[in-house]
Amino acid sequence: MLSNLGNTFVIVALLISFLLVFFSFKEFKTNNNLIPVKIYKISLLQLFFTASSFIILLLAYVLSDFSLANVYENSHTNKPLFYKISGTWGNHEGSLLLWINILVLFSSLFLFINKNNDKDFKILTLLFQNILVIIFLIFLLSNSNPFSKLFPIPLEGLGLNPILQDPALAIHPPLLYVGFVGSSIYFSAALAALISKIDSQSLAISIKPWVLISWFFQTVGILVGSIWAYYELGWGGYWFWDPVENSSLMPWFVMTALLHSILVLERKIGLYSWVIILSILTFTMSVTGTFLVRSGILNSVHTFASDPSRGLFILSFLILMVFFSIYVFFKFAPFENKKYSIFSKETFIIANNWFMIFFLGVVLIGTLYPVFLDTITGSKISVGPPYYNLILAPFLIPLLFLMTSGPNYKWISNETKSFFNFVLVLSVILFLITFFIVKESSFLLNLILFFSIYLITQTLFDFYESFKKRNVNISRIISHLGFGLLIFFIYINHIFSLENNFNLKLGEVKKTNNYVIKFNNLEEQSIKNYKSIIGHFNISNKKTLRSQELKPEIRLYDKPVIITYEASIDSNLFSDTYLTMSNISETDVFNIKFQIKPFMNFIWFSVLLLSLGGILNFFKRKKNETN
Amino acid sequence: MKKKIFLLLFFLITFESYGYENLDNKIFKNLRCLVCQGQTVHDSNSEFALTIKSVVKDKISEGKNEKEIYDFLSEKYGDWILLNPPLKKSSYLLWFLPYFLFVLGIIFLFFLLKKPKIRP
Repeated sequence: MLSNLGNTFVIVALLISFLLVFFSFKEFKTNNNLIPVKIYKISLLQLFFTASSFIILLLAYVLSDFSLANVYENSHTNKPLFYKISGTWGNHEGSLLLWINILVLFSSLFLFINKNNDKDFKILTLLFQNILVIIFLIFLLSNSNPFSKLFPIPLEGLGLNPILQDPALAIHPPLLYVGFVGSSIYFSAALAALISKIDSQSLAISIKPWVLISWFFQTVGILVGSIWAYYELGWGGYWFWDPVENSSLMPWFVMTALLHSILVLERKIGLYSWVIILSILTFTMSVTGTFLVRSGILNSVHTFASDPSRGLFILSFLILMVFFSIYVFFKFAPFENKKYSIFSKETFIIANNWFMIFFLGVVLIGTLYPVFLDTITGSKISVGPPYYNLILAPFLIPLLFLMTSGPNYKWISNETKSFFNFVLVLSVILFLITFFIVKESSFLLNLILFFSIYLITQTLFDFYESFKKRNVNISRIISHLGFGLLIFFIYINHIFSLENNFNLKLGEVKKTNNYVIKFNNLEEQSIKNYKSIIGHFNISNKKTLRSQELKPEIRLYDKPVIITYEASIDSNLFSDTYLTMSNISETDVFNIKFQIKPFMNFIWFSVLLLSLGGILNFFKRKKNETN
Repeated sequence: MKKKIFLLLFFLITFESYGYENLDNKIFKNLRCLVCQGQTVHDSNSEFALTIKSVVKDKISEGKNEKEIYDFLSEKYGDWILLNPPLKKSSYLLWFLPYFLFVLGIIFLFFLLKKPKIRP
């Protein structure tokens, strides 16, 4: 029953989207200055039907209705309610429906609340957005229908992959989707802006909130994914330069570039075409990311729901979208009269864009090169963390420097500043103090350390200065401070991380340089949908005499049969103690991985600061408007 | 230009550091566990990873250096096992394209910022 209802709703939503495209097209170029109420009503109706179809799927999961193939394949009656709900988007079909829901939601939000009154621009944005909705709905119905029926109805489902049964992973996909799909709205708006020829300022005002929102969600989404990888995958790393991680990072780089160049566009200094290109590129990267993840052409720890036929569909769509955008761009792009001065804020923002696009290029090359090489020559190579670290790390130095000095230059004017000042001296002193504590020998790492300290000090100093003048650009300060702290703490974490790998039997004791690790007890528990073997460990620090109890687990899930290793983390403000155990087959010996990870919480906090800056900008803008 | 790129690369490689890490752990982190999904040998507890770990430890005690161990493993399992792709004909583009892009960006910026001075 739910299956039929769901299918009907999706088909009705598809018909309504066609209707919207039809009416928007008819409305375009008429002489009315207002969008007819009819279109608003249809848009609401579309939102209603897509949302309802999603709720139906959610209901099917909650009720464990196994007449839906999708529910059968990804759920189980024994699963806790929370994971039944999050299971809705924990698979390809369901997440595609969520994707479409966000697409439609953004489309109607844009129609209803966007301040720009240019009718042609608005109606064209709606038109392009609904073409996207149609394409994804057709994809859903033809290839990835979550409402496909199953007969005879099975009594029990297959269950959800246990590593996906996790609170962080329940919210991670929706967050990232708001980022990914949110970029569709400025993709559509960019194309609409070219055709309707609106001026740079109104384009900037129209797309800025959407860029901020998607950037914020993308940042937080990446953060949550990272935290999940840290505690769930069990090796203590938080970023692996894995292809799937990379595909969430690629649109992030473009969004960050866009976020900055919009500031230039707002002030009518230039970059009109460039902002259009970035807007198109962001959504292109989002779809590319989706393609890479879903097509299964990449070998990744996060790969789920991959299928070549889906890949083919997304790839064709991607190619079509890129060529269409290029066509529109070259047919309609206006000639720009540029007026940039070398030592002005806009130059620094352009430099930011140059770095972001460079980072994007490196990640894109690193992710795609092995795929191309494999197809062309048949030889397989791997591109892992050493490649990215080696290529990207040196470029952090100029980037940090530009972030430090750029914001203090003025718009349009051309003034040179001396770099020798109080802040620089203070930074050098702070750097020397840190240097003597850390005693790192690498020249490159020391430079990165220095410039991150310089950025942090300068940003705090800027905050103080602008606070005195009662004119604080809080958004920039919080975000840049967050980035400086992020680099600083990643560096400190990298230097001070400790790691020990050893084998241990029950009752044995392992002594390392600073720690004593006792394997006290082994306990078995039976929990709703898995069996658990829990090790009880006591870890005492020889110097501080502090002792900690850690309980890593080995879980044996029965639906589906999978063994997972749960790390036990004792997380303190300044340092995490991280312990994983795994059984070595046919022996009573356990392999223990013991790690000390300092400042992990500071790394998460820095990213939160970074994203918070974006949202603060949104509120600042609101306040200015009401004034 | 080529000379500059090589100089730049030389600079980067000589100043690379891995902190206070043991050689064996450092090598494990640069090897892909072939039977896993996107894990390193270091992070995996599969039979394959355990075998590779003991092989690497043996090679270190035999007095082989890092590069010799990588060469040995890539001869046996192919380049797929190395997470740090070695510089050879098939990976020139991988290693140099990013720097080329960066320089291209500089040239582009140069013209963008220079223009108004020619035609005020």
